[in-house]
Amino acid sequence: MSTLTVEQRLSQLWETPKGVYGWFASVDHKDLGKRYLATAFVFLLIGGLEALLMRIQLTRANQALLTPEMYNQIFSMHGITMIFWYSSPILSGFSVYLVPLMCGARDIAFPRLNSFTYWAFLFSGILLYVGPFMGQAPDAGWFSYMPYTNIVYSPTHGIDFYALAVIFLGISTTGAAINFIVTILRFRAPGMSISKMPIFLYSTLTISCVILFAMPALTAACIFMELERRLGMHFFGVASGGNPLLWEQLFWFFGHPWVYVIFLPATGMISIIIPVFSRRTIVGYTYVVSATVLTGMVGFSVWLHHMFTSGMSNLTMSFFSAGSMTVSLFTTITIFAWLATVWKGRPVVTTAMLYAIGTAALLVIGGLNGVVTGIIPVDWQLHNTYYVNAHTHYVVAGTNVFAVFAGFYFWLPKMTGRMMSERLGKWSFWVMFIGFNITFFPMHIVGLMGMPRRIYTYSSGLGLQPMNELMTVGAFIFAIGILLSIINLFYSLRRGELAGENPWNSDGLEWNMASPPPDYEVLHIPTVSTRAPLWDDYDEKADPNDERLLSHARLTITTSLLDAIPLAAAAMPSESLVPMFLALALFGFFLALVFQLMWVCLAGLIVTFLLGCYWLWPRPIKGEL
Amino acid sequence: MSSTAQPPIAAGPPLAPGAPHTGIWPLEVNRGIYGVYCLILTEASLFAAFFASYYFLGTNKYRWSIDTPPKMLLAFVMLAILVSSSLVMMWGERMVKQRRFGLARAAVVVTVLMGLVFLTVQSFEYLAHWKTLTPFTDSYGSIFYTITTFHAAHVVMGILMLCYLAILPNYGPTKLPPHRAYRVVSLYWHFVDIIWVFVVLLLYVIPHFQFYGL
Repeated sequence: MSTLTVEQRLSQLWETPKGVYGWFASVDHKDLGKRYLATAFVFLLIGGLEALLMRIQLTRANQALLTPEMYNQIFSMHGITMIFWYSSPILSGFSVYLVPLMCGARDIAFPRLNSFTYWAFLFSGILLYVGPFMGQAPDAGWFSYMPYTNIVYSPTHGIDFYALAVIFLGISTTGAAINFIVTILRFRAPGMSISKMPIFLYSTLTISCVILFAMPALTAACIFMELERRLGMHFFGVASGGNPLLWEQLFWFFGHPWVYVIFLPATGMISIIIPVFSRRTIVGYTYVVSATVLTGMVGFSVWLHHMFTSGMSNLTMSFFSAGSMTVSLFTTITIFAWLATVWKGRPVVTTAMLYAIGTAALLVIGGLNGVVTGIIPVDWQLHNTYYVNAHTHYVVAGTNVFAVFAGFYFWLPKMTGRMMSERLGKWSFWVMFIGFNITFFPMHIVGLMGMPRRIYTYSSGLGLQPMNELMTVGAFIFAIGILLSIINLFYSLRRGELAGENPWNSDGLEWNMASPPPDYEVLHIPTVSTRAPLWDDYDEKADPNDERLLSHARLTITTSLLDAIPLAAAAMPSESLVPMFLALALFGFFLALVFQLMWVCLAGLIVTFLLGCYWLWPRPIKGEL
Repeated sequence: MSSTAQPPIAAGPPLAPGAPHTGIWPLEVNRGIYGVYCLILTEASLFAAFFASYYFLGTNKYRWSIDTPPKMLLAFVMLAILVSSSLVMMWGERMVKQRRFGLARAAVVVTVLMGLVFLTVQSFEYLAHWKTLTPFTDSYGSIFYTITTFHAAHVVMGILMLCYLAILPNYGPTKLPPHRAYRVVSLYWHFVDIIWVFVVLLLYVIPHFQFYGL
């Protein structure tokens, strides 16, 4: 032992074994974060291919490339994949990778839970895609309204796959949210009080709390749906005293906060990237943070704006219309803070900065056309037209995808240790940006002309064909832009320049270590004295008495909730296969539930419980406590 | 950037006597408590969604419940069992603090038995209730049985957790995780009990006292 250097000792404690076992058993948040990102990106590509199929079908009037049934399945799978399996998990991927690094901790609060939530996310996605391979995909859109989805109108297993895969994903999402909350509240570096947290941590904390309160509504709705479909109970059928609006209420009580779940971490990333490339700290930190938290809270009082056409009292509608407009105020505060940061700084135009500014531009368009649909009579006119498609794609695809690409160009050098090509990156940005606007801006116009969404074709006399041809061309340009970035990634993995510790001269703690970070990440747990740790004169790594070295066991430091005063050293578990097997057991349970194999379900539950018992049994951690 | 360097907050708090520690640092034991509070919040939201659905289904009805309101007697018996089982668990927690681990373990076993009695009484309540109302009768029956069955499932989960707690080797200060398993399980058990208070109030009591006008 004594012959090893401190670095070697820490590496021994924190490294994941090589080989197949280590790959499946890893609980390292860096491995899992990268896997989250890669898996979610694959879902983006799958969802994107489905979108291209739809665009090809809609290019010309009265085209019969896809049957109506196939078209229904493809638009449903596109929405479900993008909303549930791409846009939130990819942000979770960034959070899993970055939250411990930004906190200066050596791992996330519950590393094995982190592994479980990754595998549960992957297996729930596989469960969703079992359906299409059996020819029984969900076909009622991503919000699966009753009564389309009851057993009479949707007799296949498609909706069962939807409901159960979504419940399964909900378990994964909730576990990840709990992990983020505890990590951000307890694992921040000493001195990083709640007023000095990077904004990305604030947005992740906000959406994690939102998930805790919003996700159960969807779970409840899916449980009711399955009970009605498969056991013949009555929740949504009017004849037996049910109410189809119950589904809409529960779904949108979840659904609108979910919009902020896939939006706030994206803005959080932009709030990190824009100041770095403007060479100054963000303007109005307190206002941006308050706006982030308030968006999460007020996001719970807007859900009825999805249901203005379902028949409600004027007072109810006015309240929710006002709530919807209030939320846009907070987004406006954030956007003006970004603009002021660029204005007062000395901006450097890198690819990441271009994507960040592009996000802001698309967010302004998506925000403005969203405020318009928040006005009740306008909503009645525009409901269920392509105008709504334009809005959702500007806010979800625009802000999420462009912010995610900004995040990739900004943080991939940290993850891979190699720089991406700036030249190819800028090409990719402009191709994507132009393609995006050619695809989605005409949707406003065809929407105002009355083209309904979710219809597999349109007749030739309506004059819609030129715009639709344009949109299809745009969709392919957008796809080429994404392809350029994928090529850029593989190019940088092989040929990219070495990134070094801090290629962007950034201010966050995650840049205070080698790229890619060593297994133990930080030699000494850092201490922090300002909001921009690497831009001040204070030395974060200074630790003359080796108090925060913690090289005798797998340990990291926990601090108090508000002031980040160091309290204790947390013992961290090592690699384990149990989380994966637990997720696999739950996969078996849900798959059996789709086909009503109740004994297999019971077996799945028992195995889950036994694995949980094994997981939690006391066993020593690596090192000498 | 301007120099705003301040002295570091480096050294941890003094070590408490008897508490587990590692080197100069006390060993962290509270993560699980934070986790279980989050779990309870999200589970409470699930029941909030259930109760909201219960009332939403009642909004377009002439009276709610549609059928005769459920009888209250057994529900109150079950409430008494669960509340007293929570008291037993609280006593057990106090025993853990006083390091009388044998008594604490006995408290867990008693709580398990009380949970089983609760489930037995509930099955009798179901048997009696089933004659007039099934989950397949109407929306009221569906939501009533869904809420109560999901609560029962949580009781079963709680009992399983208590059984696991009963065989865990260590309750006191330990260097081997899980650190505060007793507190975690008893928090969950209290949560399951509090949900039953709401079930009794909203599903059993209030339907008897609602005024339906003409």
